Amino acid sequence: MKSEMPPHIHIGTSKDKFMLKTFTAMLVPAFIAVLAIGEVAFYHLMIAVGTALGIHYLIFLMQRLKNKKPTYPTPYSPLVAAMIVGLSMPVLAPYWLTASVSALMILVFKYGQGYFFTRKYVNPAAAAKALLLVGLSIMIFLSEPLRTGLIFHPHHLRLDLLSAEGFSSVDRFYSTDSLTAFRSLILWKTHGWLGGVSGLAVLVVGTLLTLWAKLKWRIIVSLLLTMAILAAATGFITGGYVLLRIAFHVFTGSVIFLAFFMATEPQTTPMTYTGQYLFGFSLALLTFGLQLFNVLGGSIIALVILNIFTDKFDKIVLRKPYGHREVKT
Amino acid sequence: MSYPKYFMEKGGFKMDISMKHGAEKNPFITLNPPERAVIFMQQHIGVCNGPLVKKGERVLTGQKVGDAVGKMRVPVHSSVTGIVEDIREVYHPVLNRLETAVLVRMEGSEEMKPLPSTNLDSRKEIVDMVREAGIVGMGGAAFPTHVKLTSKGVHTFIVNAKESDPNLVCDVRLMIEKPEDIVKGIMLMVKALNARRIIFATRTREGEIPELEEIMLEHGIEIVRVTPSYSVGSEKLLVKELLGVEVPTGKFPPDIGVVVNNVSTAYAVYRAAYLKEPLISRGLSFYSDTTGIDNLWFRAGTTLRELMEGLEHETRRYDRFVMGSLMMGWSVGLPHTPLLKYSAGLTALTPEFPKPYDEQLKCIRCGYCDSVCPVDIYPSLIMKAEKEDDIDALKRLHVEDCILCNLCSYVCPSRIRLTKHLWDGKDKSRA
Repeated sequence: MKSEMPPHIHIGTSKDKFMLKTFTAMLVPAFIAVLAIGEVAFYHLMIAVGTALGIHYLIFLMQRLKNKKPTYPTPYSPLVAAMIVGLSMPVLAPYWLTASVSALMILVFKYGQGYFFTRKYVNPAAAAKALLLVGLSIMIFLSEPLRTGLIFHPHHLRLDLLSAEGFSSVDRFYSTDSLTAFRSLILWKTHGWLGGVSGLAVLVVGTLLTLWAKLKWRIIVSLLLTMAILAAATGFITGGYVLLRIAFHVFTGSVIFLAFFMATEPQTTPMTYTGQYLFGFSLALLTFGLQLFNVLGGSIIALVILNIFTDKFDKIVLRKPYGHREVKT
Repeated sequence: MSYPKYFMEKGGFKMDISMKHGAEKNPFITLNPPERAVIFMQQHIGVCNGPLVKKGERVLTGQKVGDAVGKMRVPVHSSVTGIVEDIREVYHPVLNRLETAVLVRMEGSEEMKPLPSTNLDSRKEIVDMVREAGIVGMGGAAFPTHVKLTSKGVHTFIVNAKESDPNLVCDVRLMIEKPEDIVKGIMLMVKALNARRIIFATRTREGEIPELEEIMLEHGIEIVRVTPSYSVGSEKLLVKELLGVEVPTGKFPPDIGVVVNNVSTAYAVYRAAYLKEPLISRGLSFYSDTTGIDNLWFRAGTTLRELMEGLEHETRRYDRFVMGSLMMGWSVGLPHTPLLKYSAGLTALTPEFPKPYDEQLKCIRCGYCDSVCPVDIYPSLIMKAEKEDDIDALKRLHVEDCILCNLCSYVCPSRIRLTKHLWDGKDKSRA
């Protein structure tokens, strides 16, 4: 028996456990989405999960048949990615679109990235969705490319978020039968991403998951805080209902769901603490800018762009280690 | 009074220490001297000793069998009375390579060669005695104790009785069995250093060892109950915990007027001063799945096989033995490997004992290693830089400040032994 280096014990964490925790947390917004929206949400989620897992199993079987080590020996990672796709789809999306995003995610951005690069550089779900939806939106030969692509949906493009009067139309857009737009954004809305039906539920579950799975909380804090500050500042400058501004920019499904479940994806986000704060801050700036210009799913575009610069963020400022800090005497 | 089940580390990570629960209650079992003692020439940090004896020569227990020239030299002594059977290279369980050892076969009745008399009022003579007794840091680092005792301008002397490793309890047991002797050893070291403040850092609770606490109080020793965490056991981190200061990078605690020594080292000083016995035996926590932790008093140079036989354990049942801490010690598979004079622990592992690092996955950049790192470096980025041989990055990431506590590997969900990359990174950055 060869001598072996330390340590010889382990805390018991594993990638699968990490994924299972994330999946468990996502079941809450998924359940709420189905409760609020009904079978449409359920089908979206099933299609996203079914497509990704189906493709995953085919690849898994092929790898086994060729006696290759499976890229994903367990289905947990593909399952989580698929669930993220499902929950990040807008209610208005046709089912084929959800299936396409899911397929693109698992084939190109999960297996593909892993195969061609040493690690994943962009969030698979965000990249798949951004690529497909932006792609569709600019296909002018389609009869209604903007409506099909969803990200630049005509409904959204009609909003004028740069003035108080224009912003007041958000009321009509987000209020439900029993709730005002403000309450609806936080508690219960049936428009936008499935995962963001209840902003408050995502906030609570996301916070618990952050503690449980020890997510990169600095990104979340910096993203949400910056969004809130930018929204408040815009509200003060343009006039109007400031709290509704904050609720709108922070609790739209894309931002609140993305903050906890996509922007913290470990592989594609910075490792250093300053890098994480700056990443969240930059993500908020970019997302807010895109939101002001009515690209309401713009957060995923912003995320994919920033993912690419993760390594740069890791080089900006390093924390000072023990022995390099000021010594009290 | 029960200890917590876990140590809490930075980032909210828990370390299971249930292995040592209640084991401090187990008295030391004194093992018979080994039939054949294997005495390594290198059992300290510093200049390697050369043998002072020849094959076939008769040696006494406590007789010096190896020494060298220079400041960082610490002699080694025979732990048995007998004949030098051989001088040859043997696998060293800590250095992980072949090293010269003197093999002494026990023969005849035991005869002790005592240390020369020492004037315990003379600081110089205390330091000389500590060197002659071959005393090294007993917490696992094996730093020459006499070198620490010659430090100038020391205002604080810290006794590290934290014993933070998950499988070690022998220090606490020693505190229960030998409180007065420990304090005598501490006071001698304090005299050598001329330190004004003495801190006894322990994880025991107030009132747990009343006799020790009482004697300490009489001698003006402050007892500080330190944070229950594994990493705080490290010398530099203990200094920060107790004094709120950091030892600057590249320096050592004496550079800021602090000397830290292990509680077992203090006891070794007592034995040298009052029993005239060099460091040839010590306490050790032995763990096996069938017995849990036993506290043993063994002679240096005892092979694992002899130790196991002495305890009536079947050596064949175990496929590896971890020397020292389960977090920091190497494992060996050879039962004829000897224990060293600073071995504080031994864990016998069966093939069924989990091997958590056998199937390492790709890094997922979760940042757990960075969160748990007690010295605030970035192990994950260091691993990347080390793999890419990026020396500039290794230096920028301060790899030299790693204390090799291995917490980063301990929490890694991908089960990566970052240890290797940190060690190699240190080497590369120095090259």
